[in-house]
Amino acid sequence: MSARVRGSTDVMATTTDDAGGIDDVVRRAQRGDVEAFESLYRTHAAAIYALCRRMTGDEGESRDLVQDVFVRAWERLTSFRGQSSLGTWLHRLGVNVVLERIRSTKRDAARLIEGDDSTFGSHSSAPAIDASIDLDAALVHLPRGARTVFVLHDIEGYSHDEIALMTGIAAGTARAQLWRARRALMRMLDP
Amino acid sequence: MTSLETHLTEDERQSFADDTMSPEQRASAEAHLAACRSCADDVARLTTLMTRIRETPAPSPTVALDDLWPTIRARIEQSKVVSLPADVPAVRRFSPRMWWFGSIGGVAAAVLIGMAVMRGRPTGPGDAVGPGTTPNAGEPSLIAVVDSAHAYEQEARILLDKLELRRAMLRPETAEALARDLHVVDVAIAELKEAVARDPNNPALRRLLATSYRQKVDLLKRVSNAS
Repeated sequence: MSARVRGSTDVMATTTDDAGGIDDVVRRAQRGDVEAFESLYRTHAAAIYALCRRMTGDEGESRDLVQDVFVRAWERLTSFRGQSSLGTWLHRLGVNVVLERIRSTKRDAARLIEGDDSTFGSHSSAPAIDASIDLDAALVHLPRGARTVFVLHDIEGYSHDEIALMTGIAAGTARAQLWRARRALMRMLDP
Repeated sequence: MTSLETHLTEDERQSFADDTMSPEQRASAEAHLAACRSCADDVARLTTLMTRIRETPAPSPTVALDDLWPTIRARIEQSKVVSLPADVPAVRRFSPRMWWFGSIGGVAAAVLIGMAVMRGRPTGPGDAVGPGTTPNAGEPSLIAVVDSAHAYEQEARILLDKLELRRAMLRPETAEALARDLHVVDVAIAELKEAVARDPNNPALRRLLATSYRQKVDLLKRVSNAS
């Protein structure tokens, strides 16, 4: 089971496009109407922020990424055909933008998943977090690779195969990272 | 297959907690859990975590996201400004990985130039529909154009879906160049489609539209292969 329907907030499920295709606001934005695009931004920005925040664990970086996602969305909007909801399309775009950012800030792209975990195991140095502290506070303490897989799978609902394609790691590696992330969260949230 | 004597594996515990086991596996695991307190406690903790994940609301920003819009708008407006050739450095670094971007950029430019030429050109003697004539949407030439466009759009959509999954594996500058070039070609296609709808029997417009569709599909194929 994926923990959630893809897209972690309700706005992802509500669509600006009707069942028959693309609604008028999206169509106007596709034709270059910036005011229409602003309306789309105001509808979807919170959901994209939540995605970025959980994947990066950093508020400032998340705000930068929200900007990047919507600038990219503007550039790519003509390729949106209304086969999925705009929220789903934006969400996928957001995941890609965040993964690209993570890769570009790593000296070695392979470390996206494999790296920075040497101290992350059954005797992790991650602090035990009081049970009252929320999941998002605990997520910050996960290594970036494990956090990425955990957020994509358990929160955003992507399959291991999809995660493998998006990140370039093997599905088995993604599965192992997920298990390690869950174990670490268990220790932090319920020590 | 789980037995009562052997503890559940990590795979089985995690799969039980996130409910991805087959019904047969689940029944077998349940039988073990009923008899093994150690495994049952561990699976219960994992299940509690999964429940907590589902129930945790999405994080909210401490400062309103509306504040970001002016910056986004400025970046969007900036991207609308098309650089003139004089802005291009005299010597440009060119890597083999980028050759197809250069080629598609050239094609996109050619398409745009072609559109500009067609806009200024009076309808020629070979054109079936003259200026001021209302196009007939049922004419065979328009039907052929629409069918062909659908076929290209479908192929491009399939390629785009595949590429989306691999997008994060592209180098950032490659992904940016791809997005930029696709945008240029998509805008050209949209304008050409409108032009064809207005003048459905204009063969030059139809050729330009077909060329830009073909180039889009070619670009996507090359990028898919490269990634």
